Amino acid sequence: MSIVENHALALAPRISEASVADYIALLKPRVMSLVIFTALVGLMIAPGHFHPVLAFTSILCIAVGAGASGALNMWYDADIDAVMSRTVNRPIPAGRVTPQEALAFGLTLSFFSVMTLGILVNWLAGGLLAFTIFFYAVIYTMWLKRHTAQNIVIGGAAGALPPVVAWAAATGSLSAEPILLFLIIFFWTPPHFWALALFRTDDYARANVPMLPVVAGADATRLQILLYTVVLVAIAVAPWPLGYFDAVYGLSSLALGGGMLVLAVQVYRNREGAAALRSARQLFGFSILYLFALYAILLLEVVVAAAARLFW
Amino acid sequence: MDKEQPPGIVLTEAQKKRQRERSIAIALALGVLVVLFFAVTIVKGAGVLVRPM
Repeated sequence: MSIVENHALALAPRISEASVADYIALLKPRVMSLVIFTALVGLMIAPGHFHPVLAFTSILCIAVGAGASGALNMWYDADIDAVMSRTVNRPIPAGRVTPQEALAFGLTLSFFSVMTLGILVNWLAGGLLAFTIFFYAVIYTMWLKRHTAQNIVIGGAAGALPPVVAWAAATGSLSAEPILLFLIIFFWTPPHFWALALFRTDDYARANVPMLPVVAGADATRLQILLYTVVLVAIAVAPWPLGYFDAVYGLSSLALGGGMLVLAVQVYRNREGAAALRSARQLFGFSILYLFALYAILLLEVVVAAAARLFW
Repeated sequence: MDKEQPPGIVLTEAQKKRQRERSIAIALALGVLVVLFFAVTIVKGAGVLVRPM
C-alpha cells in the first residue's frame, strides 16, 4: 500500500455507530439518579412556594449538568477506564464513542444546563451548577484524581453540591440547611469510596490512580474510614440538637449512624482474607442505604407535613 | 464527461439505523427545551424578564 493510500485511509471519516444508549451511559445514570434524589430533597425542604414547572426545570437542569460532568469525566479518564475491570466496557474504552464525541457531548450539555437554569430559574443556581460541573470535571477529574490520595475527599464537594444548587433554585439564596445537606454528603464520600477502593485496590493500582489504599495501604485506609465515619455520624445527627431538623430525623440518623459505625469498626478490625473483603463490601453497600435513608426521611417529613395541612 | 461519479461514503444499514436513532433523540431533546421555555414563560408571565442574580 502506498504512502498516499495510507494517508487517504487515515483521513477517511469515521462513521459513528454509537447508539442512544451509549450516550445515555456517558451521563452515568446511576450517579445521576442519586443527584436527582438529593437535589429533590434540597428543593422540597426549602421554604416558600416554588412553582412545580420551575421545580421540574431545576431538577432537569441539575440532572443534565451532572450527566455532563459524567461525560467530561469519561472523556478525560478514558485511559484509566480502559484498564479497570469496572469501567472497561464504558462507551469510550469499548470503542463505541470517540473521546472527541464525548467531549462535545459533555460541553454542549454543560452549556445548555447552566444557561437554562440561569435564564429560567435564577443565576445563583446557574452559577452554582456551573461551579459544580467545573469542580468535578477540572478540579477532581483533571487534577486531584491522578495526583493525590485526598482526591475523593476534596472532590467529594462536587457530589455534595446538588442539594445546595436545588435550594438556591427554590429560594434564590443560601442558608444553614443546604450547608448541612452539603456536609452530610461531603463527609459520607470518603468512607463510601474508600470502602470500594479496599476491594478494588488492584484495579486502581493498575490504573495508577493514587487512591488511599494504593498509596498508604489498607490498614491506614481502614483507620481513615473509621475516623471519617465518626465525623459523618456526628454531623448527620447535629441538625437535630441544632434545631434545623426534628426528632424523627434525629433519632433515625442516630440509628442509621449506629449501623455505619458498627460496619466501619468491622472494616477496621477485619484485616485479612475473605472477612476483610466482606466487611468492606458491607460498608460500601450500607453507606448507599444510609445516605438514601437520611435524605428520604427529610423528604417524607415534608410530604407528611404537606398532606397534614391539606387534610386537617 | 459522462464518467460515473464514485459513490462516496456509503453507510451500512446499522450505521443508518443508529444515525436515525440519534437524530430522533436530538429532536426530542430540542422539543423538550422548546416546551420548557414556553411553559416557564407562561408560568412567570411578565415576571419572565425579572432574573435575580
